[in-house]
Amino acid sequence: MVRLAARAGCLLGAATLAGLLVNGVRADGVRFSNFVAPNACANPGEGETSSPAAPAVEVMAPGDAAGLCGDPTTLIADVRSADEFAKGHASGAIHLPCGASGQVADTAVGLVRGRQTLILYGSTTADARRVAEEMRRRIHRADLRVVALAGGFAAWDQAGLACASGPCAACPGPSRDATQDPRHP
Amino acid sequence: MSPLPFAVFLVRLTIGGLLVVAGFLKLRAPVAFATEIANYQLFPSVAPYVAATLPLVEILIGAGLILFPRPWRRAAEAVALGLTVVFASAVGSAYARRIDIDCGCFGTGGGAINGLTLLRNVALVAATVFLLRFDRGRATSRRPQ
Repeated sequence: MVRLAARAGCLLGAATLAGLLVNGVRADGVRFSNFVAPNACANPGEGETSSPAAPAVEVMAPGDAAGLCGDPTTLIADVRSADEFAKGHASGAIHLPCGASGQVADTAVGLVRGRQTLILYGSTTADARRVAEEMRRRIHRADLRVVALAGGFAAWDQAGLACASGPCAACPGPSRDATQDPRHP
Repeated sequence: MSPLPFAVFLVRLTIGGLLVVAGFLKLRAPVAFATEIANYQLFPSVAPYVAATLPLVEILIGAGLILFPRPWRRAAEAVALGLTVVFASAVGSAYARRIDIDCGCFGTGGGAINGLTLLRNVALVAATVFLLRFDRGRATSRRPQ
């Protein structure tokens, strides 16, 4: 048993060492120091990597943002958790939580294609802003307005603006399986 | 050849071949593979290290299952069991959390995780347990003293 474990350790060690060596000499190898695990949230210091031509993220009051909602070139994204999203969300919003993987964020980038405005809201302005900054960084389009909703979903709800609940068919994230809330058919 | 050693040989060949192929496919785009690992949202900070080392581990262990002499082959089988358990746990965790991500099982573009992906990984664990249990080499007959 000890010999088996020692041999297994030797194999694992040799292969790991070989892997690190091969990765080190490859021009397209992974760089450990600057690898950033992708998700839908902006990481501190990443803002400067966005296109210099792209306008900054705007912060907008719910009343003003609601005026953009009827426009088919506007996409709304909810950055809160799946549970909060299922309990109630802005009508037509996709679910793009902060913890969503980079792949989900990429799918959301695809959904923005052909749109002129992306409105994001969270529980607070800061929540929306973090994801908005990341989307701004990922989408290199000067003609796209990226808007973070001021006051979060609570402000949207208090303003009496349109709400919906339950699963979201167009969502790139896990909330597409969220349970339908019977209070909001 | 009796049925059991033949089955063991076939399973060795299948698991070994799968690991070698998967390892080479993962070697093609290490950065993209690191992203696939990070997408599991388990330990994203170790993703680049896993992406750098896992392909070679898979290739060596896969080759070992097919080519190594018995003592070292047994060691390769033990490592293969560890690998398949980790793979199945990661896939099971992503499936349970309903994270919509690519498996990354054969490098990038391996397809989204679903019930079939999980079943395949559990089958791989079962196959490596079978190898460890039954790959005991040829029975040696004792000569009468």
